[in-house]
Amino acid sequence: MIHDAQMDYYGTRLATCSSDRSVKIFDVRNGGQILIADLRGHEGPVWQVAWAHPMYGNILASCSYDRKVIIWKEENGTWEKTYEYTGHDSSVNSVCWAPHDYGLILACGSSDGAISLLSYTGDGQWEVKKISNAHTIGCNAVSWAPAVVPGSLIEQPSGQKPNYIKRFASGGCDNLVKIWKEEDGQWKEEQKLEAHSDWVRDVAWAPSIGLPTSTIASCSQDGRVFIWTCDDASGNSWSPKLLHKFNDVVWHVSWSITANILAVSGGDNKVTLWKESVDGLWACISDVNKGQGGVSALPEGQQNEQ
Amino acid sequence: MKLKEVDRTAMQAWSPAQQHPIYLATGTSAQQLDATFSTSASLEIFELDLSDPSLNMKSCATFSSSHRYHKLIWGPHSMTSGERVSGVLIAGGENGNVILYDPDKIIAGDTEVIIAQKDKHTGPVRALDVNMFQTNLVASGANESEIYIWDLNNFAMPMTPGVKTQPLEDISSIAWNRQVQHILASASPSGRATVWDLRKNEPIIKVSDHNNRMHCSGLAWHPDVATQMVLASEDDRLPVIQMWDLRFASSPLRVLESHTRGILAIAWSMADSELLLSCGKDAKILCSSPNTGEVLYELPTNTQWCFDIQWCPRNPAVLSAASFDGRISIYSIMGGSTDSLRQKQVDQLSSSFGNLDPFGTGQPLPPLQLPQQTVPQSVVLPLKKPPKWIQRPVGASFSFGGKLVTFENAKLQQQPGVQQQEQQHHHVYVSQVVTEKEFLARSNQLQEAVQSEGFVSYCQKKIDTAQADFEKNVWAFLKVNFEEDSRVKYLELLGYRKDDLRKKIASALNKEGLADGGLGETLTESDESVPNVGDEGQATEEQFLGESVKDHKQETEDLGSAKKTFNISVSGDVDGLITQALLTGNFESAVDLCLHDNRMADAIILAISGGQELLSRTQEKYFAKMQSKITRLITAVVTKNWKEIVQSCDLRNWREALAAVLTYARPDEFAALCDLLGNRLESEGDSLLQTQACLCYICAGNVEKLVACWTKAQDGNNPLSLQDLIEKVVILRKAVQLSQTVDPNVVGALLAEKMSQYANLLAAQGSIAAALTFLPANTNQPNIVLLRDRLCRARGDIPVGQEALKAQYERQPKGQAGPVVEQMQGPQAPSQQYYQQVRIAPTVTTWSNKTPTALPSHPPAGCPSDTQGDNPPPPGFIMPGAVNPNMPPQQVTPSNYSMYSQAGTRPTYPQTYQATQQYSCGTGGPALYQPQQPIAVPASASYTNPAPNTTPPYLPSAPAHSLPSPLYPGQPQPSPTSLNPVCSFPLPLGASFQHGRPGPPATSVAYALPTGPTGPQNGWNDPPALNRAAKKKKVPSNFLPPVPITFPIMNPLADPQSQVQQPPAPAAPMGAPSFQPPHLPAGPAVLQGGYPTAPQPLGPCVGPPAASKPSTEGAPGAPIGNAIQHVQALPTEKITKKPIPEEHLVLKTTFEALIQRCLLSASDPQTKRKLDDANKRLEFLYDKLREQTLSPTIISGLHNIVKSIETRNYQEGLNIHTHIVSTSNFSETSAFMPVLKVVLTQANKLGV
Repeated sequence: MIHDAQMDYYGTRLATCSSDRSVKIFDVRNGGQILIADLRGHEGPVWQVAWAHPMYGNILASCSYDRKVIIWKEENGTWEKTYEYTGHDSSVNSVCWAPHDYGLILACGSSDGAISLLSYTGDGQWEVKKISNAHTIGCNAVSWAPAVVPGSLIEQPSGQKPNYIKRFASGGCDNLVKIWKEEDGQWKEEQKLEAHSDWVRDVAWAPSIGLPTSTIASCSQDGRVFIWTCDDASGNSWSPKLLHKFNDVVWHVSWSITANILAVSGGDNKVTLWKESVDGLWACISDVNKGQGGVSALPEGQQNEQ
Repeated sequence: MKLKEVDRTAMQAWSPAQQHPIYLATGTSAQQLDATFSTSASLEIFELDLSDPSLNMKSCATFSSSHRYHKLIWGPHSMTSGERVSGVLIAGGENGNVILYDPDKIIAGDTEVIIAQKDKHTGPVRALDVNMFQTNLVASGANESEIYIWDLNNFAMPMTPGVKTQPLEDISSIAWNRQVQHILASASPSGRATVWDLRKNEPIIKVSDHNNRMHCSGLAWHPDVATQMVLASEDDRLPVIQMWDLRFASSPLRVLESHTRGILAIAWSMADSELLLSCGKDAKILCSSPNTGEVLYELPTNTQWCFDIQWCPRNPAVLSAASFDGRISIYSIMGGSTDSLRQKQVDQLSSSFGNLDPFGTGQPLPPLQLPQQTVPQSVVLPLKKPPKWIQRPVGASFSFGGKLVTFENAKLQQQPGVQQQEQQHHHVYVSQVVTEKEFLARSNQLQEAVQSEGFVSYCQKKIDTAQADFEKNVWAFLKVNFEEDSRVKYLELLGYRKDDLRKKIASALNKEGLADGGLGETLTESDESVPNVGDEGQATEEQFLGESVKDHKQETEDLGSAKKTFNISVSGDVDGLITQALLTGNFESAVDLCLHDNRMADAIILAISGGQELLSRTQEKYFAKMQSKITRLITAVVTKNWKEIVQSCDLRNWREALAAVLTYARPDEFAALCDLLGNRLESEGDSLLQTQACLCYICAGNVEKLVACWTKAQDGNNPLSLQDLIEKVVILRKAVQLSQTVDPNVVGALLAEKMSQYANLLAAQGSIAAALTFLPANTNQPNIVLLRDRLCRARGDIPVGQEALKAQYERQPKGQAGPVVEQMQGPQAPSQQYYQQVRIAPTVTTWSNKTPTALPSHPPAGCPSDTQGDNPPPPGFIMPGAVNPNMPPQQVTPSNYSMYSQAGTRPTYPQTYQATQQYSCGTGGPALYQPQQPIAVPASASYTNPAPNTTPPYLPSAPAHSLPSPLYPGQPQPSPTSLNPVCSFPLPLGASFQHGRPGPPATSVAYALPTGPTGPQNGWNDPPALNRAAKKKKVPSNFLPPVPITFPIMNPLADPQSQVQQPPAPAAPMGAPSFQPPHLPAGPAVLQGGYPTAPQPLGPCVGPPAASKPSTEGAPGAPIGNAIQHVQALPTEKITKKPIPEEHLVLKTTFEALIQRCLLSASDPQTKRKLDDANKRLEFLYDKLREQTLSPTIISGLHNIVKSIETRNYQEGLNIHTHIVSTSNFSETSAFMPVLKVVLTQANKLGV
């Protein structure tokens, strides 16, 4: 059973992870599919994978029910485990790399309720910060805010190191979306967004397109998808807008690179695409006919879970 | 992991799944007393608030009840409408009563909370269950085999499922089937379970264990499999859970024996049928898989037994357990750490007793010693097996290029009773998401137009389809750019048709009494009096108009003279004085007199006779005196000071001002004037005028301003409006390249931003290739550089999976790279392939990355590389027939390197080495090719490779490279190191690279620029991305569209020309060897020569001098190329160079051709170097030509030299040279004349 599939930065490689404890990497250029690597190391179902920005090399993070986060790296054409994080007490459900501007930082959300932040400090060392009890019963998703400098949303005077404020959003079994902000090296809960009435299954912070508005999509067990927006630079006033109430669990939301389309995948195995109209209403622009365009389909001969 | 706890001895019921927030109802349990021996009872409701980290449950309501409860359930059925809290609480009491409570009212604090109550049962009601399918049906069981089915809508009359079972016994548990709504099961302590079919109203099967030790405390149906159920035994002698399948009901399917003492309660998760909770007298709470018998989890508990356990219907990971120590605990089965905070103090527990003195003894009870055998573990592990509900079955994520990756796992279609998991289909799909169809369609049209160069028809189509007049106007203006006599057409667009005007004038003249001055009513009319100031295009018409005016004047004069007889008066009045002055030839006085007397016409007519000086003075005076509406216009016409008009005209007359500019302005000031006018319009608050400013910018060919102005006026975030803009910009840029002397290739910051925005949009729609063609090529903006890299890689041109390639920023996508490499290995590989390979090599740069810090440096590096990749293939490449293997590689590789150096950030340039190799190879001839293969290999490998020569050449080359910069004093020199010739040797590797780079640009240019803009200007900026598209068309499929940083150098060469030249290319091989001396030193020299005049290398290679000529034209740009790179580093800076006047271009071409010929036949490196150097230094000459600062004598002398060169009479050339030197100012000629002498001498010696 596949639990995640992510393309790399260029859209030329596909990483999948599965209940069979494997992480696989395919080369999907030109519509083909070549298995490049079958990464073994997890002892449980692997929930999510995340590609780091290529400026750091070919790096993939994966998280699993086995409570581990593994960071894989391609060295000399071979993929190997470069770091294994075992600091969680329960299933690690989500991993997300910070914007590359911040360095190599990985946020991990776990069913133990905590969120870990792993920062690469060089020489193979990773520094760990942990937010305990971020979400009671568990954190299901983490998603970083794009690297935007407060106050100057458009351009930075060059040569000056931008004073980024690091933020990410998380969603959990306490039905909350939370926004975390780093202050003086410490992660603090900045906002608690309440609208969902059941587990928040996924959160996705929209990529920045140069506008001063921050946008987050969240989806829930309760079938609702909310679009949260915040117009003020201080990040204090978030308002939710219900995108749609589905009849089934909504598992996943994903923004297009240009941040104008949201893909929503639900428990009914349907994927729908949503777009905001000029008047601010969200409309479903299409159901995704899977494989349309026929780029590729990966038949997986893998085992069922366990 | 424990989440919450409540100190109650109570039965519990979770609110139904649809209820939010989640409540837990507790009802004081019967048959248990706490230490107070209180007999009071209550019904309480708590809220589960998980956002509160404490262990306390928030109590929402308490209702004092007269009953104690054996069973409490919370059904979803709504008894009343409109309540905030859904469902109904159903309680089983001690005395056979079934009571319905309204939880909403309880929470509201209402006192009337009982909906209904019936005492139909005998004995305590221990068993209750709600039908999942008809939630108004509730089954209850009590003593004496009593089972009732209650319809909550008709509560008064319960039904029975059939005849009571015999013997009569207590009903300990009852459960509705989870799959079939009319099936009910009941169990009794005797160990027997009965399954009832309510449709038949009778028991259909009885299940019982034969050993008679089963003592059923719990019964649960399988959530998914209709025929399966479990029975739990309370008997310590048989502490088992039996799994039965009714299809085989003679013995249990499976027996779970995990408990050591009797089991008190079970609960089967509705969310995951693998999870069955059980709690027993062994004080354990276990979670097992009934399907396998495996214990998946053991909850860390206190040591007390739990007598009730419930899954939370809404939150599948949460369960509650009521224990005999008077506590209800809420747990998560997902594990986690129970940190100290969450642990309630034990003494808090005992204090609940301590403060009381229940017996009135006056003595508090001793603290209760609770058995604390298990110290709570700080870390609780989760289930061994992941619960179903956290397994994401479906997902979709966007990735670059508008691709959507989706995966799904077909849902299990489990057949009832079938255990096996069926084969699932696991698929990952990659789809292309296209949402902006119109946008794409228009973009395609635009690209087609660019490729086919069908600009006129494209514009026409736009005009035809334009909705708004302004749109029409804009497109009409744009279209004019591609037509002959563009200025005239502009005028027409502004409403000034020459033909019409002529007619008007003619009719005006036919009316009597019109004075000459009367013609000046309109601007255009005034034009007539000043013929031929306009550009050549208008010349004929102007001429015509001018003549007509003259005729007219003639006419009036005739008329005048015919009137009277001639009478010369010498009286004392003014007339007389004038007459006298005239008679004495004193024009000046006569004119003064006329002026004084306000006889303007007389004054001016006289002044004409009085000589130029007098005329102009008179004009001045006239203008100073006259203040009519049109005086300023006339002033401007006469003095040619159009700036004045443009600056001061009323903006409502912008049309007229523009018309005047169109008519009169010299080409070199035309654009500036249009700009000026546009600026004024734009700065005016009026939005209409602002849009009109766009027209001025179009006339001016000022793309950047157009973008700025347009952006201001339009909503920028709509893809289609962006498309609107880009269409115009692209067309305008094309036009500018075609027609104007203005530098067309500057991509300003704003335009770059728009273009990259556009490219982003295209990419998001999956048009990666198109996005690449539109992406500005010559910008250093990190985001564009990154985007380009991403686009190139997204096209899949880069091999993946090789460490060496990782993180490279190469833009060069070639799908063919792989195959090409193989071919390359063969020494005989066709040159084309070779070329490509070469290009590949540069791409291999890896990011210095690996550490986060690397990033900053990265962007610049990437940019240069990109450009290199984009470079169009060398001519040889294009023309399959004619291949000059040597040449292309040289040029190409160096260029790449130089690019890198520009970036400057990267400390290591492995690639540079490669480049050198290639270079050497090129010199060596075909055999050398083999070494190049390494190129494909990571840079380091290549480095080691061969060609001993290779590295050295580079260093020398650096100096050479630096040279060009001095040539162009005007140019900014961003990177001091590379530019300074003196330091050139010591230069870091990077510097050396730069020098190499110029060469490639040259090659690229030829391809890149379809249109032949004037050379010098182009040099500064890469050709617009559009060019690429155009090229694309011409280039074979394998050619990557690219982005070439097209170097300006190349621009000079019109595409057609370059292609023409290419045919000669075959000759090059011969030339090449000679060109590049094998020696290391020679190498650098060659390089230098190559790029300063990039074309030169081409030319020589090409072979025949004639062929080389065109290339040489391009040459001027080449040196610029270097400068350009630097310029790129400073994106904001914009440098333009004037073109060499056409009449002098021959100087450049001839000299360059000569040098190339010499180079071809020169054998010793020294000579070659000398020639290369000469080639470069001649840039001084070209610069002077551009500046037009050379005196006519020198110029003519140079032309004579050229003539002598053409006749191969070098001796004569030398003579002329000597003459020039001896007769001219030394400082004027010293920069280039000695060099010219060297060249001539060499030519003479070599006899080329």
